[in-house]
Amino acid sequence: MLEATLNFKLLEMCSKCGACFDICPSCMHIPGYDPREVIKDILNGRHERWLDSGHIWECLECHQCLEMCYQHYGFENAMTSMRMLASKKGIYPAQVKRGWEMFVKTSRLGEPALPARKKLGLPEPKASGVDEFRKLYELLKQSREGGGSPTEAD
Amino acid sequence: MKEFAVFWGCTIQTRFPFIEKSTRTVLDAFKLPYRDIDGFTCCPEKSLVNNVDRGAFVVTAARNVSLVDELGYDLVSPCTGCVSNLATVRSELNANPGEKAHVNSFLKEIGREFTGEAGLRHLVPFFHDAVGISRIKQKIKKDFSGMRVAIHYGCHMIRPSHALKNDDPLNPKKFDNLIRALGAESLEFNTKLMCCGQGLDRIDRHENALHFARIKLKELKSMGADALILCCPSCFLQFDNNQFLMEKEGEKFGVPVIYFTELLGLALGYSPEELGMTSHRVDCGPFVKKWEAVTTALSRGVDMEEGLRAPVVIG
Repeated sequence: MLEATLNFKLLEMCSKCGACFDICPSCMHIPGYDPREVIKDILNGRHERWLDSGHIWECLECHQCLEMCYQHYGFENAMTSMRMLASKKGIYPAQVKRGWEMFVKTSRLGEPALPARKKLGLPEPKASGVDEFRKLYELLKQSREGGGSPTEAD
Repeated sequence: MKEFAVFWGCTIQTRFPFIEKSTRTVLDAFKLPYRDIDGFTCCPEKSLVNNVDRGAFVVTAARNVSLVDELGYDLVSPCTGCVSNLATVRSELNANPGEKAHVNSFLKEIGREFTGEAGLRHLVPFFHDAVGISRIKQKIKKDFSGMRVAIHYGCHMIRPSHALKNDDPLNPKKFDNLIRALGAESLEFNTKLMCCGQGLDRIDRHENALHFARIKLKELKSMGADALILCCPSCFLQFDNNQFLMEKEGEKFGVPVIYFTELLGLALGYSPEELGMTSHRVDCGPFVKKWEAVTTALSRGVDMEEGLRAPVVIG
């Protein structure tokens, strides 16, 4: 239930429209970035060829396309799905890998800068929820291995 | 006003504690009922966590929201990304009872429950809607009349609008209203709503990130904007840090980057030092100096009165 899926009917319409191309910042400013090509290939069953392309990571998730889209769908759904598929195969930018590993380990993307806080006269940072987070993530992984959530097992 | 927890987020506490300083300073100045609470984690960052593990993205965000749900607080954050991510998950779960129950079956195991009732707001719409323009105007000690500034909204302050519901996602007004209330001129320009592009630095595309920053900074320089005003730590990183890096390589822009709470704090009478503005990489000195010069020039109105009283006026 938590896995993203693509709605091919909407995507079919999307491939015939492309109105958001002219408002997408990456389409305007990154040579070679064109989600219309990716969407065409997804519909033709040839999405695999994009999985190791850096272009699928260049969608900035600014949501301009989503707001412009008369289907409220936009390029971003297709690009997000491609990134998810690539990640599953272990293909992602080095920094994404580092960030993800830090998140899973610490529940944060960095720890509060204590010396600077002291200098600025800021209070002690509050405790993070790392222990609960780890438990939660473990439950999520277990449910995948067991093929169900605690609810479904009841 | 309802009590609210401040969600500081990772980037501000890790890299820009001075943003926390100016935020606390202005929240205190207005005597707002904010609380620091235990237990928050990363929101989590969507482009990173959602791409790798969607389930982890959803349950982590739902858990963070459940903390304020349980306390009966609202949540306010000076980070656009955090609010946007939390609101995105909340709106998805509120619209989808099956998924909400599924997520809650996990949260139950750690003694939490997501109800999705808490208000989630970014600091700018919060100041606009909950504090209000008139209350802000009453507290201003020295306004920014004569200063011409450029506002950068930051994509996630206003989008996705179905989740945030706080402003027009393609023609927003609230940040402009606040800045104008402080007396500054908010410039209209071509790249006003263009994404900062900082996300490109998170996927090892540093040159592309610099290119995005350059486009906006060039326009601001050509317009002679006195500063770029924003309210997102990622956008701040992009325009302050990356501008500094480009200047080191010889490209000159000279556009001070000022956080909303810093500008508000200055108007309330706090010094740049008290607000932590000396920690920026691009010097805010030129902005403060010009502000002082403009204010002095405007207060010379007394000279005119003296002129009117002079003998030559009566003949």
